[in-house]
Amino acid sequence: MNIDEWMERLAAGTALEETEQVSSRLKSKIYSSLILALEEGGPLLPLPETKKTGRALCVFEQLVEILPAPDAVQSLQYCKVCHAKALGERIENAPIYWSGCPYCEFQNR
Amino acid sequence: MPETNSLAADLLLAEAMLARDRKAAAEFVQRFSGPLAGYVRSRLQPRWEDVDDIVQDTFLTALRSINNYRGEAPMRAWILGIARHKVEEHYRERLRHSVVPEETADTELMEDPGLDALLDRTSAEERTASILRALPEHYRVVLLWRYWEQRSAAEMAAVTGKTVKGVERLLARAREEFGARWRGKQKEAAA
Repeated sequence: MNIDEWMERLAAGTALEETEQVSSRLKSKIYSSLILALEEGGPLLPLPETKKTGRALCVFEQLVEILPAPDAVQSLQYCKVCHAKALGERIENAPIYWSGCPYCEFQNR
Repeated sequence: MPETNSLAADLLLAEAMLARDRKAAAEFVQRFSGPLAGYVRSRLQPRWEDVDDIVQDTFLTALRSINNYRGEAPMRAWILGIARHKVEEHYRERLRHSVVPEETADTELMEDPGLDALLDRTSAEERTASILRALPEHYRVVLLWRYWEQRSAAEMAAVTGKTVKGVERLLARAREEFGARWRGKQKEAAA
């Protein structure tokens, strides 16, 4: 067979698969950039609404969620001032262990 | 999970993202960062330094076009389609400034790789990957684009601003180099 056909057969039979492992730092950075992009479009879904969907809140978000605060307060992204974000973006397998915190859930432990 | 349930779950996730649910964004990253990184790594090897940027850029593009996701296909396939465009943009940039070789003969015949009969498909895959990684970048890119992404020379020419003949000559040189290295490794293995 000519080399063009040969290459076609070779490519069809070899997927060149690579590991799907992703560093927790990259996941953290992507998440932070997605949140920034979401905020550009308007306020985030208020925490009580997020809770209703069944997705877990972290301990700090739970504190805010039970406050009789307006949507403007419930829509703020509190991760911006949290050490978990700072550590998650900079340290692989960062020593952070909060339940319901995305930066903790991104750790490959 | 049955496919219809899975599609419904994907659609719910898209709707939650449209509602700007922060936790849905976290689920989006957790579910798709692995498959995306695996695909991009396989197509950029060995330029690992560009992988993270392309993966991140894919997520941002997916978020901005999430309203186009209709739940008709798995979200994984949808986001991998976006990644494919990003990889092709990368290829286009890499090839745009490469020099097109002069006339070249591409008449060489190769033995059927016989992949169906190979006992160890993994070793064929490793050999292919190692040859691709060692090739000059413009050869590697043009081969990956043509054979693994299945784009024609005409399509590659259209987006890189080169002539079809020029891309065909580049492909011929790349195939020739790949074939020579493949035979070299075959001899090594037989010795």
